[in-house]
Amino acid sequence: MMDILNQLLGGFATAGTPINLLWALAGCALGTAIGVLPGLGPAVTIAMLLPITGQVEPTASMIFFAGIYYGAMYGGSTTSILLNTPGETGTMVTALEGFKMAKHGRAGAALATSAIGSFVAGTIATILVTLFAPILAKFAVRLGPPEYFCLMLLAFTTVSAVLGKSTLRGMTALFFGLALGLVGIDQITAQVRYTGGVMEFMDGIEVVLVAVGLFAVTEALYNALYEGRSANDMNKLNKVHMTRTEWRRSWPAWLRGTAIGFPFGTIPAGGSEIPTFLSYAAERKLAKPAHQAEFGTVGAIEGVAGPEAANNAAVTATLVPLLTLGIPTSVTAAILLSALQNYGINAGPQLFQTSGDLVWALIASLYIGNVMLLVLNLPLVGLWVKLLKIPKPQLYAGILIFATVGVYGMRQSAFDLYLMYGLGLLGVVMRRYDFPTAPVIVGLILGPLAEAQMRNALSIGEGSWWVFVERPMSATLLAVVVLVLVTPRLLAWRRRA
Amino acid sequence: MNPSPSPVPSSPDSNQPPVAGRGVGQLLVGAGALGVAAVLAYGATSISSDAGYAGVGPNFLPWVVSAALAICGSLLIFEALTGGYRQMDVPSGAPRGDWHALAWVSAGVLLNATLITTIGFILSCALCFTLAVRGLRASEGKPAGNLRQTVMDAVTGMLIAAPVYWLFTKLLAVNLPGLSSTGWI
Repeated sequence: MMDILNQLLGGFATAGTPINLLWALAGCALGTAIGVLPGLGPAVTIAMLLPITGQVEPTASMIFFAGIYYGAMYGGSTTSILLNTPGETGTMVTALEGFKMAKHGRAGAALATSAIGSFVAGTIATILVTLFAPILAKFAVRLGPPEYFCLMLLAFTTVSAVLGKSTLRGMTALFFGLALGLVGIDQITAQVRYTGGVMEFMDGIEVVLVAVGLFAVTEALYNALYEGRSANDMNKLNKVHMTRTEWRRSWPAWLRGTAIGFPFGTIPAGGSEIPTFLSYAAERKLAKPAHQAEFGTVGAIEGVAGPEAANNAAVTATLVPLLTLGIPTSVTAAILLSALQNYGINAGPQLFQTSGDLVWALIASLYIGNVMLLVLNLPLVGLWVKLLKIPKPQLYAGILIFATVGVYGMRQSAFDLYLMYGLGLLGVVMRRYDFPTAPVIVGLILGPLAEAQMRNALSIGEGSWWVFVERPMSATLLAVVVLVLVTPRLLAWRRRA
Repeated sequence: MNPSPSPVPSSPDSNQPPVAGRGVGQLLVGAGALGVAAVLAYGATSISSDAGYAGVGPNFLPWVVSAALAICGSLLIFEALTGGYRQMDVPSGAPRGDWHALAWVSAGVLLNATLITTIGFILSCALCFTLAVRGLRASEGKPAGNLRQTVMDAVTGMLIAAPVYWLFTKLLAVNLPGLSSTGWI
């Protein structure tokens, strides 16, 4: 315990240097801005900025990226409430009640409860990360390749089969991502695969390229193709303020949201869609009868407070598997993992020993970032809302410029820009036919890691597949994978019977 | 069937009125998945199966992915032929695409890719911006393409691209191509 406190203080010392504070502030401000702007999420923003890893030292850039990740969650709720176009999947539920509140002249209260709720949940979740991540890391050191492989299998299953509506389309997206991950040199035998003689493919397909193509370029193309005539009317912003009753109704919802969100972020169940929705359902059920009528009509403040807290708690908690196991459970976490890889840092249980300074500075910066974001989002919210006045054509065309920086700056190859366009077109098709994109990214980045773990595991088992079942931990994880796949089907089958 | 996290559950059997041409599109997407599977299988035949101690070699995962995509593709085609994809949301936006607008944006991105090394980052991106804005504006049904507007867009594009170029090349030492070797354009 004392040990953790000391290391955390050391982290504050690193994160508190003026230069790192500036990076944190820049990250938080940029994150809020892109969270507010429709069409850009934290994942693609960090992806576009990955080239800076060539110059900026690891601690500073991780603080910067974490600020963007966090800030986007705060900013995203502003857009959901005022514009009803959630920028992030996690703020989808916020849009349900928040937009209705804003429509009935309570935008200020909705914005206040979401910002303060995000702060409360973010801070509690950061405390939990501080306490539990080192313990989990100590435990995770004992995991071998079979266990890792099963954990990754679990991440694949949940991200493609549980999230999203259709298991089939989720699986298709996942295997497409895995296919992209196959391109390049095999890690174990150095065998060249699927390069078709193209030199650019030797290093594999970068996750940056795929993320920027599938998110940023797709956004621009899709808007030109289909969304030109979709009108958005914006709600009026009024004073950001909560009454005493609204405080009283908000804080239990914040705490419940945090309690629901955090566990979901830590397990490889990917994303914050499930916890935010669960939190919404819980608040709706628990609300006093007098308030229940507000749900879906004039907007209930609990329906904003709970999901917002759940969202931030889940987002913070994704750092636990990322830092202790090296397993990303969201798209942004996957991009953060590749940022670490750029520095030659292997995320995993050893990270707390080998890069302890970085990890603790990152955790300390989360505390600092939450305070910064509260200030950036409460008194200054009017400033960010002005961003929503940028006309769509200029916004999306501008995004294309930044996409070029990210992709070309990565390895100075015009070939990558063509590839980016191709992936953009693919993204349009996926969006039109309702395929999820997260499995592609997770498959691409985890695929090669999972393959290496699988083959190492089989080497341990001297070529026998029983190695995955003979070890208790790995067998348990496999059972969980099967449960995750089978349970929803059984339930559906029983309901029909 | 999955518990849908989306707050508006789609009808389980997806009996929405089909948009014209969607069935064909769904078939093509399924065929595309089969195509990728075929390419993967073709490539996998030339990958060594040398397994070492592991029992499976570098060609193992390629075959698995290829087989899985083949199954997914077949199932997608099956769904497309039997009433369309299941649990589909109506996609956002207009039912018909504005291909004219898409062509402008595509031209911007592709010309950017072609010209970036010759005319430099700033000019190339400004061109991409101008073309993309024109397409996006046309998609909104607004007048696009008069000379004054085009010049304004080109200048706006430069005003975005130039500071970005300086920020990334000078401050962050990211390598981006310039027209001249002065480092300013």
